[in-house]
Parts: sequence; C-alpha cells; structure tokens
Amino acid sequence: MTVVEATERLWPVELTPRTKYLRTIWAEMSRCHSHLLWLGLLADAFGFESMFLQFWRIRERILDLIEMTCGHRVIPSVSVVGGVRRDINPEHKKVIMDTLPSIRKESEDLIKVVINDYTVKARTVGVGVLTKELAIALGCVGPVLRASGVREDVRLTKYHAYGDINFEPIVENAGDCYARALVRAKELLQSFDLQMEALNKLPEGEISVKVRGNPPANEAVMRTEAPRGELFYYAKGNGTRNLERLKIRTPTYANLPSLLVMLPGCELADVPVIVLSIDPCICCMER
Amino acid sequence: MPFMLPTIIKNLFTGYATRLYPVQVREPFEKARGHVVFLDDKCTMCGACALRCPSVAITTDKEKNELAFYPLRCIVCEVCVHVCPSDAIELIFKWRPSLYDKPVELHQSTRLAHLRESTEEAKKEETKKSD
Repeated sequence: MTVVEATERLWPVELTPRTKYLRTIWAEMSRCHSHLLWLGLLADAFGFESMFLQFWRIRERILDLIEMTCGHRVIPSVSVVGGVRRDINPEHKKVIMDTLPSIRKESEDLIKVVINDYTVKARTVGVGVLTKELAIALGCVGPVLRASGVREDVRLTKYHAYGDINFEPIVENAGDCYARALVRAKELLQSFDLQMEALNKLPEGEISVKVRGNPPANEAVMRTEAPRGELFYYAKGNGTRNLERLKIRTPTYANLPSLLVMLPGCELADVPVIVLSIDPCICCMER
Repeated sequence: MPFMLPTIIKNLFTGYATRLYPVQVREPFEKARGHVVFLDDKCTMCGACALRCPSVAITTDKEKNELAFYPLRCIVCEVCVHVCPSDAIELIFKWRPSLYDKPVELHQSTRLAHLRESTEEAKKEETKKSD
C-alpha cells in the first residue's frame, strides 16, 4: 500500500474519499492481525504455549475478514495506483460490523489475563529498559518509541482517513518489555474502534480514479504507520514505465539498534523476550 | 486466578476450537483468490499477462503458440485477470491443491490455431485464384 501511495504522489493523484477510508480499514485490519500475532509470539517467548494459541485463534477470525473482503488472508494486495481493486459491499460491511465487537471482546478478555498475570509481569517488567532519550537518539519508531514515553505516530500526520476519525496515539512511560506489550495490546483494542468508526463513516462513491501514462519525472516520499512502526518509501520516476529509484526503510531497520542498548547485561533467558519486544522482521529489514 | 475462572469454565463447556478438517471443509469465500486458470479457446497469445506479471509466472511465445505457466511462482495477485483483453484468464475461488514437484503448465491457444488455419486456408485459396 505504501509503495502505491509513494508512486501516486509522483503525479500526484487525487484519491476519492471512499478509497482513503477503505485503505484505512484494511491497514487497521492488518495492524490487528499483526498485533495479535505478536502478542501470541510474546506468550510463546516466555513459554505460555496455550496463550499463544488462544491469540492466534482470535487472529484467524480477523484473517477471515481480510480474506472475505480482499481475497487473500494476510497481505490484502488490493491497492493499485489510483485506488483499490476490491470494495466493501453492504453485506461485507454488516458481517464485519457484527464480527468486530465479538473479536474485540475476546481479545480484551485475553489481554486482561496477559496484563495482570503475575508470571507475565515477573518476566517482562524492568526487562530491556530503553529510556526516552536513548529511544530518540537511536531513532526508534512505532510501539518501541511510544513505550518509551514519546508521543510519536505517523498517523498523526493525518494521511488516509486518519484526519477524520478520532485517533490518539497510545503512550507508555516505562520503556521496558511490559510497556511495549501494553502499548501493543491497547493499540489492538484501539484499532478495533478505529475500524468501527471508519466503517460507520464510510462514504459512498467511486473506489478508484483512472491514472494514465507513465510515472512522471518527479520524486516522492510516503510514510505510513505499519504495525511495527514507521514505514518509509522513497520513489523517483523518470518518465518511463519503470521507476528510476525506490528506497524502502522498514520499521525493523530503525528499531534494531535499540537492541544494542537493551541486550548487554541482561539474563540469557530474557534475550528471546527482549529481541521479540521490538517485533523483528529480518526478511523485511534485508534490503 | 479468579479473573481467569470465567475463561476456564467457558473453555470447559465450549466445543472444539478448530474445524474437524477432513470431515468439515470450509467453503472458500466468494471472490477469494484461489488460483488462476487459462482458457485456451479465448487466448490470443497477446502476451499482456506475461508483461504485467510481477512474479514472472507466465511466459508467452506467439510464434510457437505456447503459453507456459509456473503455478508455484504465481502469487494470485489477479493482475493478469484484470489485464487480459480477451478474458481468457479466470480466477477460481478454491485453492490449488498441494504439489509434490514444480510443474509447468503448457497451454496452446486453440483460438490462435483456428485463426492461423483460416488465414492459411484463405492464403491458399488466394494463391489458387491467382494461379
């Protein structure tokens, strides 16, 4: 989606309001499934196997919603230059509106267990502390930065429909693994609310506009808030069919240096939890 | 512990968490991206799909009248379906069954063959007439 929007900014293309809302809804669905996946992996990292499967069971229902509206389970793959390829029709909207509150209820119940559990606290509170100053100095992004007490979220720049819907970033001050889990858990619940609000406000209209010709000789930058943090795309066109240059900076690339501060001096058994707490995606980072 | 009690009781009395797979099979959603099939009677070997395929899963050769499709490369992005001018590629909602090897699907367009035959016949007739 971000690469499409970076390319759209070369012209620039004016999107229809419905496109913006649809992209918002699918981006938030992706955030939901990614955070549920992460919470499951966190439970797995300190040996809470049953919790891992419980989270992934809820995630499966979100994946069903994505498959119903987009066709694919994990990667929506619906954005094209100028709009989107699939639409959320009234029947889909009704199904999503019926399903989301129950998924939210289920995840809320599970999150209560994770957040208040004594064992979970023993394994995460005070582990891998990243102070506010260091988080800024190392250039962290996303939940890692917000867990260290910095109110920073690309969604505050009001791209897509985030200007219209009621959004406030979630900030925690402790900067440890527990705070990062808390930020993601609260973001997950917030994400359900954002989806419901966006669905309620979903305007009628066209889902795409016609874009003709090759990308013009121009350069553009697009930043979006991916589930792991700020995703950065730079695109440069030269008037031909192919872009001259495309630079991608994924959130893991920005978050990885923070491990150098968090890991020294920690216990060996805490290493998986700390490494996982930045939600590393090495295959995204390798570019 | 008491706050977990409702969850425990709920889990005791609810049924299976998963589908009993081989017995119960979930029907694919409408318009789910299962896999693509090529309709040989509509294809004209124009090569638009091969040009636009992001994962290079299709190659076409108009001279030989041959379209090669590599199913394991295909990411079912649906671009070829949208781009085909003669609607010769269809999206099937069911997933492709698992494979043991890396097959290549070879397609020959019957439409193109018919076209060529008819043009050859026309040419022959023309040459006969001129003779």
